[in-house]
Amino acid sequence: MASLYPAADGHHDDGKPAFFRRWFYSTNHKDIGTMYLWFGMLSGLIGGGLSFMMRLELGEPGIQFFTNYHTYNVFVSMHGLIMIFFMVMPALIGGFGNWFVPLMIGAPDMAFPRMNNLSFWLLPVALVLLMTSFFVPGAGADNGFGGGWVMYPPLSTTGHSGPAFDLIIMGLLAAGFSSIFGAINFITTILNMRAPGMTMHKMPLFAWSVLVTAFLLLLALPVLAAALFMLFFDRNAGTGFFNPAMGGDPEMFQHLFWFFGHPEVYIMILPAFGIISHVVSTFSRKPIFGYLGMAYAMVSIGVVGFVVWAHHMYTVGMDVDLKLYFMVATLVIAVPTGIKIFSWLATMWGGSITFAIPMLWAIAFIFLFVIGGVTGVVLAMPAVDVVLHDTYYVVAHFHYVLSMGAVFGIFCGFYYWFGKIFGVMYNKVLAHIHFWLFFIGVNLIFFPQHFLGLNGMPRRYVDYPVEFTFFNQLSTFGALVTLAGTAAFFIMLIEAFIIRRPAEDNYWGEGATTLEWTLPSPPPYHQFNTLPRIK
Amino acid sequence: MTDAQNKADQQSRNISRTIGILAVVTFAMLGLGFASKPLYDTFCRVTGYGGTTRVADTNENLVSDRVIEVRFDSNVTNGLPWTFKPNQLSMDVQVGANNLTFYKVTNLANYPVIATSNYNLTPIKAAPYFSKLECFCFTEQRLEPGESAELPVVFFIDNQILDDPRLDDIKTVTLSYTFFPVDEKA
Ligand code: HEM
Ligand SMILES: [Cu+2]
Repeated sequence: MASLYPAADGHHDDGKPAFFRRWFYSTNHKDIGTMYLWFGMLSGLIGGGLSFMMRLELGEPGIQFFTNYHTYNVFVSMHGLIMIFFMVMPALIGGFGNWFVPLMIGAPDMAFPRMNNLSFWLLPVALVLLMTSFFVPGAGADNGFGGGWVMYPPLSTTGHSGPAFDLIIMGLLAAGFSSIFGAINFITTILNMRAPGMTMHKMPLFAWSVLVTAFLLLLALPVLAAALFMLFFDRNAGTGFFNPAMGGDPEMFQHLFWFFGHPEVYIMILPAFGIISHVVSTFSRKPIFGYLGMAYAMVSIGVVGFVVWAHHMYTVGMDVDLKLYFMVATLVIAVPTGIKIFSWLATMWGGSITFAIPMLWAIAFIFLFVIGGVTGVVLAMPAVDVVLHDTYYVVAHFHYVLSMGAVFGIFCGFYYWFGKIFGVMYNKVLAHIHFWLFFIGVNLIFFPQHFLGLNGMPRRYVDYPVEFTFFNQLSTFGALVTLAGTAAFFIMLIEAFIIRRPAEDNYWGEGATTLEWTLPSPPPYHQFNTLPRIK
Repeated sequence: MTDAQNKADQQSRNISRTIGILAVVTFAMLGLGFASKPLYDTFCRVTGYGGTTRVADTNENLVSDRVIEVRFDSNVTNGLPWTFKPNQLSMDVQVGANNLTFYKVTNLANYPVIATSNYNLTPIKAAPYFSKLECFCFTEQRLEPGESAELPVVFFIDNQILDDPRLDDIKTVTLSYTFFPVDEKA
C-alpha cells in the first residue's frame, strides 16, 4: 500500500520533504494543487496582458500600436489558447480539483501521485513552447501564429508555413496529454478511493462536477490530439487530410475541432458549477436543493454536450435539416442548465443568507451566467446565427460564460477555500474592492460588445469604422477598471500573506459541511490516516 | 491486519482495472479521431452530406414527366494553368432519364500537367438523388502541353426524388467542378 503514496516513503507521516524535493518531485495532491493555482495565476496574467493590449488598440478607431496587423491576430489567438488551456483549466481542474476532490471524498491522496506530478510539469513545458512561438516566423516573414484558437486550415497549414504553429501544436499536445493523465487520475480516485460509507449519491457536488469533467476530457481531448496530429502531418509530412486538392476536406477539421471544442466549454464551466453549489449552500445554511437533480443535470449536460458541436459551424453551408437537428439538440442543453440555476435559487430561497465574499462571487456568477446562457440560446438559432456568427455578439456571449462564468467560479472557490489552502485569512475590505471593481469592469467590457455585434462589427480585426467608436471606448474603459480590480486582487494576496491572520478549521461555521472542514487549516501534509466514516 | 490488507489489495486491483479501462477509452477516442477521415468520406457518400453526389453502375429508373434544369459550373484552382468550361451551361433533364454532357479542358502550359477534380451539387438536399454513371472526376486527367480534351459526364436524376416532399420545390440544380493540380512530389 505504501508504494501507492511515494511521498510517504522514507518519511515520518507528516514530514515534509525539503524545498526542491517538495515542489519539483511533488506527489502530494495539495502541493500539486497549489502549484496549479499559482501556474494558473501566472498564465492569467500573461493572457490578461495580451487582451489588455488588444483593448488598448481598440480604444480608438485607426491603428494605435499594432502597426503589424499580423501581430494583433497573434495576440488574439494566443490570448484564447492561454486563457483556456493554461489559466481556466489548470486553476479549476488542476488546482481546486487536486486540492479538494481527495479531501471531500475522504481519500489520503490521488490514486496515481507520480502521474499527478507528470500532469503538472507537462504544463510549464507546454507554456514555454507556446510562448516561444511568439518569436519565431509564423506567416511569411511575420512572427507568431495568428490563426485563432480554433486553428482552422488552410490558414493553419498553407497560411502559416513557419515553425511558430508547429511549436503551438506540440505545446497543445503536451497540455492535452497532461489533462488526459489528470482525467484518468481523477476518475480512478473518485471511483475507487471514497471513504467507507461515501456512496456515489452522497458524494459532494464538486467531486461530481470533476468526475463529469474528467470524463469529458477523456473523450474529447484525444480527438483534438488526433486533429492536431493531422494538421502536423499536413504541414510537415505531405499528407492531405484537410487539403481538397489531395482528396481531403478542411471542413472535417472544423468537425473534429468542435467535437472537442463544445465539450471543452463545459469542461471549463462544470467545476465552477460544483464550486457554486457548495458556496450557495454554505452561505444559505441549507443543504443544496435537489442534490440528485444537480448531479444528474451535470451528467446530462456532459452527455448532450457531445452531440451539439456543429452549432459553431452553421455557416459552412450545411443542410437545413442538419441545422434543425443541431439547433434542437443545443436547445436541449438549456434544460439541465436551467435545472441548475433554479436549484441554486431554490437553495437560497428561505435560507439564512450571509453575503460573504464567496457568496458575492457566486450570486454574480449565477446572474451573469444566465445572461451568457440566454445569448447562447439566441446564437443557437441557425437563422440568427448566420447574421451574428463571427461578430462581437459571439465574443460577448462566450465571455459572459467564461470571463464571468468560469473566472467568477475560480475567484468564488479561491475566496471560499483561501483560508483552508493557505491557512491565513484575507482582508475583507480589499476582497470587496477586488470584487466590485472586477464585477463592474468585466460588465463594462463585454456588455457593449453585444451592441457592436448586433451592429455587425466582426471579431478578430485590428481596426473598425468610426461608427463603432463609442461602444469600443466603453469596452476599453471597462478593461481599465478590470485592471484596477486585478491590482486589488494582488494587493489582497500580498496583504494576507504579510499579516497572516490564522484561519480556523471551519471558519464558515455550520453551513460548511463537507469533509475538508473537519481538518485543520491548512490540512496536515498527509490526511485521513484513519479513513473517515460517513453515516 | 489481514482484513485491512485484503481491503487494500482489493482496492489496488480495482484501481488497476479502472485505469485499464480508461486507457482503452483514450486510445479508442484517439483512433476514432484518425478514423474520422475514412468515416467522414463514407458518411458523405452515403448521405449526400455536403452535396456529395452518388455513383451508379446502371440506371433502372422509369423516365418521368418532371423536368429539372441542371446547370453546369466549372472552376480552376489558382496555379493550375488550365482552362475549363462546360460545353453547355445548362440542360433540361427528365427525371429518370440518362443524360450526357461534356466539359472542355485545355492545358495552357508548355509542360504536361496532371490534375484531378472535386465536385458538389447544390441545393445540397438534392445531392443524394443525383447519380453519375460516368465522370471524368473519377480519375486523374493528364494533358500534354497545349492539349485540349472533351470530358464526358453521364448522369441521371433518381426517380425517388418524386417521393420526397422536401424536394418538391426543386426546379434547378447546379453541378460544380473544381480542378486541382496533382502534386506529384507527395
Ligand atoms: C445554454 C447554453 C449555451 C448555448 C445554447 C450556446 C450556444 C452557442 C453557439 C450557438 C455558439 C456559436 C456562435 C457562433 O460562432 O456563431 C457559441 C459559441 C461559443 N460558446 Fe456557447 N452556448 C452555451 C453555453 C456556453 C458555455 C457554458 C460556454 C463556456 C463556458 C460557452 C462558450 C462558448 C464559446 C467559447 C464560444 C465561441 C467559440 C469561438 O467561436 O471561438 N457557451 N455558443
Ligand atoms: Cu458550443
